[in-house]
Amino acid sequence: MSIALIVLLPLLGAVFPALMMRLGKNESAIAASSVTILSLVLLLTNIFAISQSTVPQASWPWVPQIDLNASFFVDGLGLLFAVMILGIGLLVTVYARFYLSPQEALGRFFAYLLLFQGAMLGVVLSNNILLLIVFWELTSLSSFLLIGFKSDSQEGRQGARMALAVTAGGGLALLAGMLLLGQVAGSFELTEILKEGEKIRSSPYYLSILALVLIGCFTKSAQFPFHFWLPHAMAAPTPVSAYLHSATMVKAGIFLMLRLWPVLAGTQTWFYVVAGTGVITMLIAAVIALFRDDLKSILAYSTISHLGIMTMLVGFGSEMAVVACVFHVINHAIFKAALFMNAGIVDHETGTRDISRLGGLASLMPISAITATLAAASMVGVPPMNGFLSKEMMLEEVTHATAIGVAWLLPGLVMLASVFSVAYSLRFLLYTYFGPVRNDYPAKPHDPSRGLWLPPACLVVLAILIGLFPEAWAGSITRLASDAALQSKSPKFHLSLWHGWTPALMMSIFAFGCGATALSLYVPVRSIWNKALLPDAKGLYDLSLNACVRLARITTDRSFNGSLHRMLFLFVLAASALGGVVFARSSYERGERELLPINTSMFVGWVLVIVACFVLAWKHQSRLIALLTVNIVGLISSIAFIYLSAPDLALTQIAVEVVTLILMLLALHFLPKEAINEVISWRQYRDIVLSVAVGASVGFLCWAMMTHDFQSISSYYIQHSKPLGGGANVVNVILVDFRGFDTFGEITVIGIAAMAIYAMLDGMLTGPLSATLLKWTSGLRFSPNRHPMMMVVVTRVMLPLAILVACYIFLRGHNLPGGGFIAALVVSIALIMQYMASGFAWADERVHFDYHALIGGGGLIAAITGIGSIVLGKPFLTSGFKYVDFPFIGKVELASVSAFDLGVFLTVVGGVMLALANLSNLGRMTGDGKQ
Amino acid sequence: MIGYAVLFGFAAISIALLMNLWRLAMGPTVLDRVLAGDTMVVNMIALIILYGVQRNTTLYFESALLLAMFSFISTIAYCRFLLRGDIIE
Amino acid sequence: MNSFFEALIALHIVVGAFFIFVGSFGLLKLPSFMSRLHAPSKSTTLGVGGCLVASMLQLWAAAGTISVHETLITFFLFMTAPVTAHFLALAYLHTQRSIDESLPKPSPNSNWSTLLNEESMTHSNSVRISEKSK
Repeated sequence: MSIALIVLLPLLGAVFPALMMRLGKNESAIAASSVTILSLVLLLTNIFAISQSTVPQASWPWVPQIDLNASFFVDGLGLLFAVMILGIGLLVTVYARFYLSPQEALGRFFAYLLLFQGAMLGVVLSNNILLLIVFWELTSLSSFLLIGFKSDSQEGRQGARMALAVTAGGGLALLAGMLLLGQVAGSFELTEILKEGEKIRSSPYYLSILALVLIGCFTKSAQFPFHFWLPHAMAAPTPVSAYLHSATMVKAGIFLMLRLWPVLAGTQTWFYVVAGTGVITMLIAAVIALFRDDLKSILAYSTISHLGIMTMLVGFGSEMAVVACVFHVINHAIFKAALFMNAGIVDHETGTRDISRLGGLASLMPISAITATLAAASMVGVPPMNGFLSKEMMLEEVTHATAIGVAWLLPGLVMLASVFSVAYSLRFLLYTYFGPVRNDYPAKPHDPSRGLWLPPACLVVLAILIGLFPEAWAGSITRLASDAALQSKSPKFHLSLWHGWTPALMMSIFAFGCGATALSLYVPVRSIWNKALLPDAKGLYDLSLNACVRLARITTDRSFNGSLHRMLFLFVLAASALGGVVFARSSYERGERELLPINTSMFVGWVLVIVACFVLAWKHQSRLIALLTVNIVGLISSIAFIYLSAPDLALTQIAVEVVTLILMLLALHFLPKEAINEVISWRQYRDIVLSVAVGASVGFLCWAMMTHDFQSISSYYIQHSKPLGGGANVVNVILVDFRGFDTFGEITVIGIAAMAIYAMLDGMLTGPLSATLLKWTSGLRFSPNRHPMMMVVVTRVMLPLAILVACYIFLRGHNLPGGGFIAALVVSIALIMQYMASGFAWADERVHFDYHALIGGGGLIAAITGIGSIVLGKPFLTSGFKYVDFPFIGKVELASVSAFDLGVFLTVVGGVMLALANLSNLGRMTGDGKQ
Repeated sequence: MIGYAVLFGFAAISIALLMNLWRLAMGPTVLDRVLAGDTMVVNMIALIILYGVQRNTTLYFESALLLAMFSFISTIAYCRFLLRGDIIE
Repeated sequence: MNSFFEALIALHIVVGAFFIFVGSFGLLKLPSFMSRLHAPSKSTTLGVGGCLVASMLQLWAAAGTISVHETLITFFLFMTAPVTAHFLALAYLHTQRSIDESLPKPSPNSNWSTLLNEESMTHSNSVRISEKSK
């Protein structure tokens, strides 16, 4: 249980900082950090078990049909990543509290941050690979929110979109890969899959699995050629970059490659694809980083380069390389987070991140300069920092690797990348902090408050400690994580600062020398770089994206040019063609049911419908007559419902008919009263033929359905309605009990639809359209009497009676025709009647409740009724009923569904009234009767 | 006896409905059609009541009640639309 | 149920149905809209009333109670029918401009309200209502 809680706490706790924000920034930050700390403590309780080489697990079935289980486990690798996620998360929370300005929505920021944290923990602790995918995509989504946090900046939105498109797109590939992997391995549980290495590597699907999984990992970890999204994601607030782009999200790809190392690694393909991609990424990113001017952009490319190092190490396939990779994951997270935070401090205090406008900050911001120097030293790999150790290990592994039979190829490329790495690190440090003090900083720089410099300082101290005493501070966790990644005992190694004069050390010293020299030649090199014609990854991305958009737009424009006529034509044509094909390929026999004789009234009703439809088709150019005939058809349907013993449906139909009529009339006010007079052409004959064909086939379908005996579910409902649902009205029991969940969904939709109508109409009155709209008049002559007295009087007399009828219908709904929905429509119509007769302003003034609140309240009541049954240990929306004797009133049935029905009632009243009142408000503000 | 009366009622109302339909289809003015529609609703109410008498049940009376209430509102809405253009102002 | 009640109920139904028929017949046959308006609003309403009374009598005879439903329906119909007719007539006056001339004036120096301009309507109660609420 506790393992699942580690993941769930941040996800559920995400609301707290948002709520606590009402108390203040500190309270919000404390709420966020306490959630993180709690999760961290829960995680650390597992350390002892893990060090005893047991793997704590927790599992619940979620959707067992597709082998999706909510199962979690913590082993060494998961522990390492989880500690990084939570530890750095905590520091970032503190940092963000002081970094973000008071105008920014800190509560929202922390909520997103916790959401991301939970998703990331889910990725590293999931045992089920499908669950892992769920969390994987959740990290993409939550990082989208975080990167686009400054939603008013175009860069932020663009970067967020790009990151989402690339990482979530990769996630889809990963999903396919995982499904294949699970099928081949015969299980979707990681602990099982990891035992099936041989089976998977020898499977014919191995290459597909590898390709799909690697696409997922490479997009997430910004490997070439998917690296371009990361620099654009730098539009995020710096705390986000420090968190997502140093320690967590971009490491998810590395994590997954480490996780699946035992089953996927060890083949030639793995070596060439993974290590090759790693080396290329490492080199390209290091080169680009040297020519960037934005501090965060330099760090972004540096991150890509270091991710390349890790990918390369995973790709080697040797056990020691995995150890080196794990160790570098730790070290990189520490120094890169510190550097990002430091870049944020510079940005915060000087007002710019442009390296060409900086320099000489060391004397002005000594504390920041010291932390930056130490962290950058770690990034370059200068002893005694931690970066030095893992870099030496990496170089050591590289000297053992041979690619395409050429022993010097890999070391050579890595060497080159190291030279650039040294150069950009030195440039980052020297051009920001050293050199002459300038007098044209956008803001006067000074050291920031403690809250800003303490988090990076903590990380730098940790970096030094690991550098000086590697065995004590990082030995055991590296060993645990490596064991877990390898799924076997890792080779014996000893982390220490001094290994003697190894080739790796020589390479380091050489790279340092070359790098420093290269930097001294920076100006001429830069001018060459600026002139070089380089492919722009973002440009290519934009190009392909625009091409997709254009294709989609062309397809849409061709098929739907805004003509309802054409849309219906295509739809009906496609439907009848498909139906025709299916019918032609199957056999048909006349059903065995006997036909019932028709009686006079029903025959007349049938004639009425047919003639009304003909009138509609004939007179459709006058929209008012069309509306009237549609109403008549609706009326006859409701009579048919009565005749066929469905009084509930009849009531609903009658009420809906009126609401629709009012809605249509409100809208028709703004529309031309006459439709365009079409010239009779071949298209009309074509349409007539098509509609006759479709009508005939639908009629035939009904005939076929009704002449055959079929087993319907209704007998079950009729049988169980009273004993199980406690109501004699089957329709109502189905609505509020048997299919209560559907109803719950439907009222939610009604609420959302009403809100959408409200938002849209409100936007029309205030937005760019409003000018045209407010000037609009119908140009017709209208009667001067706005509110005729006869109507006012009659409607006011009818209001209480209508409410009475509504109450009656509502109360008896469970046992006799009626219910919340119909009652709600009756009340809405009674209220709308007042609006119609006495005017919007008069009625609106006297309605003392907010329609939004009604919608929300109704949904809430329905939800609480549903949840109430969970509290009592039954499934959602289980109903209970009891007969209670009230004095004077008698025996009354109290059913929990009545409360649910009340929720339905309130939501529907709120929804209908909100929509109609706002539509009528639009008419009130515009046109001839403007007030 | 009631049975025969009800059958007579059905027949009379059915013919009445067909006559209304003629008016609905032929007009000549929109208001003729609205009037025909309104009359149709009232006839339907009578039909429902007679159906209840025939079946000896009160199950369908709510429908008649709602029809009585709402036919008024529909007709008024049409009239307002013709008189004022905007039915709620 | 005794035969007296049966006969009474049957009578109400037959008479009611007859009036409904007459109402629709008038709607079909009468020459102008204004005359057509009379038929449904008077005759049909009466006819439905007859059916409702029949239904009420039936329930009374069977259970000895007076049904609220029919009373309510009757009330609604009888209250709304004149208002409906009034508004249909008003709307007709409004839409058929051509009958302006043929129409007798209500009094020598005024006109039908629906044919007036909004400004000239000063003493209408409804206008006062809308002003008060502003």
